[in-house]
Amino acid sequence: MPSNEVIQGLGLDDYKFGFVTDSEPVFRTRPGLDADIVRQISGRKDEPAWMLARRLKALKIYESKPMPEWGGDLSELQETLDQTYFYVKPQEQMERSWDDVPENIKLTFERLGIPEAERKILAGVGAQYDSEMVYHSLKEEWEAKGVIFDSIEDGLKNHPELFRKYFGTVIPAADNKFAALNSAVWSGGSFVYIPPGVQLETPLQAYFRVNQERLGQFERTLIIADEGSRAHYIEGCTAPIYSTDSFHSGVIEIVVKKDAYFRYTTIQNWSNNMYNLVTQRALVHRGAHMEWLDGNLGSKLTMKYPSCYLMEEGAHGDILSIAYAGDGQHQDTGGKVIHVAPNTSSSIVSKSISKGTGRSSYRGLCKVYDGATNAKSNVECDALLINETSRTDTFPYIEIDERSASVGHEATVSKVGDEQLFYLMSRGMDEAEAMALIVRGFIEPIAKELPLEYAVELNRLIELEMEGSVG
Amino acid sequence: MNDKAILSVTGLRARVAEEDLDILRGVDLNIRPGETHAIMGPNGSGKSTLAKVVAGHPAYQVTAGSVAFQGEDLLEMEPDERSQAGIFMAFQYPIAIPGVSIANFLRTALQARLGDDEELDLFDFQELLMERMELLDMDPSFAQRPINDGFSGGEKKRNEILQMSVLKPALALMDETDSGLDIDALKIVAHGVNTLREENPDMSVLLITHYQRILNHVIPDVVHVMYRGRIVESGGPEVAMELEARGYEEYRIAHAV
Amino acid sequence: MNRLAAARRRAREAGAEEQGQIEGASPERATKNVARSSESTRVPEPDWLKSRRDAALELYRSMPLPSTRSEEWRYTDLARMLRLDDLVPSAGAQPGPASSNGDGTVPEPLRRAMAQDRDSAGRVIDIDGSAVSVELQDSLAAQGVVLSSLREAVRGGDPLLESLLATMAVPASDGKFAAMNAALWTDGVFLKIPRNVQLERPIRLSRWVSHPGTATFTRILIVAEDHSRVSFVDEILSPDFEAVTLVNTAVELFSHAGAQIQYVSLQRMGKGGFYLANQRTLAKRDSTLDTLNVALGGSVGRVDLNARLLGPGANSDMLGLYFGDHDQHFDFNTSQDHVAPNAHSDLLYKGALDDSARGVFRGVIRVHEGAQRTDAYQTNRNLLLSERAAATSLPNLEIEADDVRCSHGATVGQLDAESLFYLMSRGLDREQAERLVVLGFLGEVLDKLPMGGVVEKVTKAIEVKLGHVR
Repeated sequence: MPSNEVIQGLGLDDYKFGFVTDSEPVFRTRPGLDADIVRQISGRKDEPAWMLARRLKALKIYESKPMPEWGGDLSELQETLDQTYFYVKPQEQMERSWDDVPENIKLTFERLGIPEAERKILAGVGAQYDSEMVYHSLKEEWEAKGVIFDSIEDGLKNHPELFRKYFGTVIPAADNKFAALNSAVWSGGSFVYIPPGVQLETPLQAYFRVNQERLGQFERTLIIADEGSRAHYIEGCTAPIYSTDSFHSGVIEIVVKKDAYFRYTTIQNWSNNMYNLVTQRALVHRGAHMEWLDGNLGSKLTMKYPSCYLMEEGAHGDILSIAYAGDGQHQDTGGKVIHVAPNTSSSIVSKSISKGTGRSSYRGLCKVYDGATNAKSNVECDALLINETSRTDTFPYIEIDERSASVGHEATVSKVGDEQLFYLMSRGMDEAEAMALIVRGFIEPIAKELPLEYAVELNRLIELEMEGSVG
Repeated sequence: MNDKAILSVTGLRARVAEEDLDILRGVDLNIRPGETHAIMGPNGSGKSTLAKVVAGHPAYQVTAGSVAFQGEDLLEMEPDERSQAGIFMAFQYPIAIPGVSIANFLRTALQARLGDDEELDLFDFQELLMERMELLDMDPSFAQRPINDGFSGGEKKRNEILQMSVLKPALALMDETDSGLDIDALKIVAHGVNTLREENPDMSVLLITHYQRILNHVIPDVVHVMYRGRIVESGGPEVAMELEARGYEEYRIAHAV
Repeated sequence: MNRLAAARRRAREAGAEEQGQIEGASPERATKNVARSSESTRVPEPDWLKSRRDAALELYRSMPLPSTRSEEWRYTDLARMLRLDDLVPSAGAQPGPASSNGDGTVPEPLRRAMAQDRDSAGRVIDIDGSAVSVELQDSLAAQGVVLSSLREAVRGGDPLLESLLATMAVPASDGKFAAMNAALWTDGVFLKIPRNVQLERPIRLSRWVSHPGTATFTRILIVAEDHSRVSFVDEILSPDFEAVTLVNTAVELFSHAGAQIQYVSLQRMGKGGFYLANQRTLAKRDSTLDTLNVALGGSVGRVDLNARLLGPGANSDMLGLYFGDHDQHFDFNTSQDHVAPNAHSDLLYKGALDDSARGVFRGVIRVHEGAQRTDAYQTNRNLLLSERAAATSLPNLEIEADDVRCSHGATVGQLDAESLFYLMSRGLDREQAERLVVLGFLGEVLDKLPMGGVVEKVTKAIEVKLGHVR
């Protein structure tokens, strides 16, 4: 099943997508960041003046905010950023047919299985290579129904009013240091609009590939699911292995309007030299339902807490988070649910696995404002430790200002039990098989929510990883 | 309205608060002092709802009709006022209240009946409690356990009957008290109810049940069949026997929408 | 490595705070006031203590008042609640001879509270930061049990004091308030239980603070030698105050191999009371070190409790109970440090919050590298009784060993409508039903620590509070 290759590789040994493509960018800014570079990015994109002004303002905010002192170890990040290319343009323009994409770039995505998956299971595909979307396409039937699935740049160009109405409203530049950075230098990402009542049966997918060494990738995605609509968006990410560190910092803004349903799935499998600091947030309106399915398998350090702001009565938010921290990796992930309105409900289910010297941290917030009557929230975190050197943390924040709220949080930490292993081995499995079976059982509640192709691949990866993990 | 009735339900319609559909769709029922009535019916017919509405469960909203207890308008009363007036409901799913012992709780409940000027005699209470527990074959240590917390299904039901026998109601509503009981536990519960009936011949019982089984042990005077929110048939114990043999099929046909 | 980095980070963070925040609340003046006056009342002290106090004062002055920007004080805004400048150090009551029963100086409310205590093996009465009376059963003294005021103990020269007072358990370096106490303590309790001596009845400390706007600094040091056993009840009362009145308590508990210590704190201060406590328990091999913190009084209560499980087989049950009304603010900051393998800790903190009261619970289980086969649990449950009450719960886990059983849970909710209906259907009115459910909810904590007198006393105090507010 070639589409299995959409995600692959966990540890360095098995990381199948560490290859580098030999492609010359058509333009790149000099390393580092200043106002001049922001002007160059904006100029290359031929942007209206208001957007440049916003970018420059965001840059000031970025510079004024200190590096976060919590979460992962960011002590060497500034050094990395000083060496980073903030904008690398791979080709002159975005294409709507794979045939028009330059051969070596097209080859990269073929090795990743994207065109194949597009034919089989997807409603639309976007492919980003370094700083720009190189390909974007949506099946005709959806285009005919008014669905917009475009690069963010084309969103700004072709739908300026819709764009300006929502851009930066869910996640303002001042939200956090990296949201400010993204707001200053964003490039690439998707612009999605699902018209009222339109229900997409198959997912939209965006694929993010970093090729350039020392690249900073800053995709920006804006999604509006209009009243009563229904859609599923998937993003996947990989990069080559370099000896230097790379940086990825996306901002994803989603507006889920009345009675709409939107699911956003991330399968992040960056190489182990990637800092992955992402801000994802959805505003959920009356009776609407937002679902984040967040899979963090790769990167050196990920700090990412998808959030649901339940703004109106009856809004519902789900966050399913799965993290795998192998040797040298730190997954600092989790989710936030903010209850602003009455009768809102939410759940966070987080499962993490730490192996070798890996560390996974759950960090979450459940906030219920005064007046959000009968809000209900439930959080469950389970951590599985494979080796003695593995590490896990749980940092939930529970802030309740409303009496009628009902909020629960539970977390457990466990290791794979000797008894369990013995039981399975006495039935004829070897240790690695037994371990893989237990780990699969552990993540099953979340894995079953993945599209089949991803779930199958995840299982295969776990088997691979568990070989040599025991003893 | 029947003057002699202790409970008189007329044209009662009720629904779960904030939902659109009535579960009770016009119930008429009269129970006289000392009578035992059984209400049978399939799942969802509204029989448990009827018991809860009479007891004053806040989740239900009465949309029409009236309920009078000993001549007073029951629907105007809070659950505690109904209890003090002499209504007792044995819950189908008795709720656990951690940290509150049965003894402490029953003492408070009895004291509440006495009012402020009269102090419950603790020795009398202790004696009553022990005697009642013996009747129900309960270990004395039971009294110190928190209400229903970690109780087995049978223990919960026995605890309900214990409370009933201490509070001595004029009307006992037994909401599927027999469900989930094995035959030994069922006999103990039935024995408890029958003893109470003997002690107080004026006590009335409304027995909500799914099965005919308990009616072999607590013999009813009247059996009602409830279907789709209405009482569709009433008669003597023979109605239950017939139901057991035939099932609810004919009602399904007769009352199909 | 990680911890080192974290410590550095914290240090940086603390440094960053110095610039902003606490304008006007210059702790300088307060320390000067306090230092000067404690100087004058100080009895001659050994050199080790003098230099320890000086070093602590130095540290205290170098540390800014913790701000809400630091994680551990995020929900308790000291800048708004406490002005160190305005405080006057407690002058202390005149200490009587150790044998005196001090009747002349015991205020009526404290006397009433003491009368409720069923039985005691010994008692210290502390008025405004001075032990005015110390009593111990003769038979225990004969077995080598030492119970004395801290000042007396220093004078007596027990070498344990130099090695244990403000060193391993609550040293000045622990934070601003630990430093403040280490520098300025006026008195307290020293209790030593010799090897194999097991006390059947509790030792009690009955404390009273009388003057508004004062700051009182007390230390408690308890050492239980191998296979000994002791319970200690620390109760504090005060009248209502117009001005913020600070009580800063440092509690240092050492249980040696196979020993058992139970420490109970009953905080029943009046309005205006600002109760701060730094408690640390060090449990060695196979010892048991249990604590119960009950917070009912005062306007603000903040307890930092760190339980360290230092030897295999060590066990700590950590219980907490708080009931806030009006605008009371309770903040518990707990940690369970599993340093040794095969140890067990279990924390249960439950709180009910009425009116505009606020409860904060922040707890962390840290399983250090190598602490295999750790069993550690943590539960925090909150009941919100009013529209304006608020609860914040932050149960954390930091696990660096793989063979562990750890879990935590936290809930916030209101009184369950089904429970209330159940009780009302038995004839209780709404008020009675609510009272019973709240008592049952909180009583679960007390049931875990059955101790003569404490359960009844706390239950009664809660009943009074419940009756008062509803």
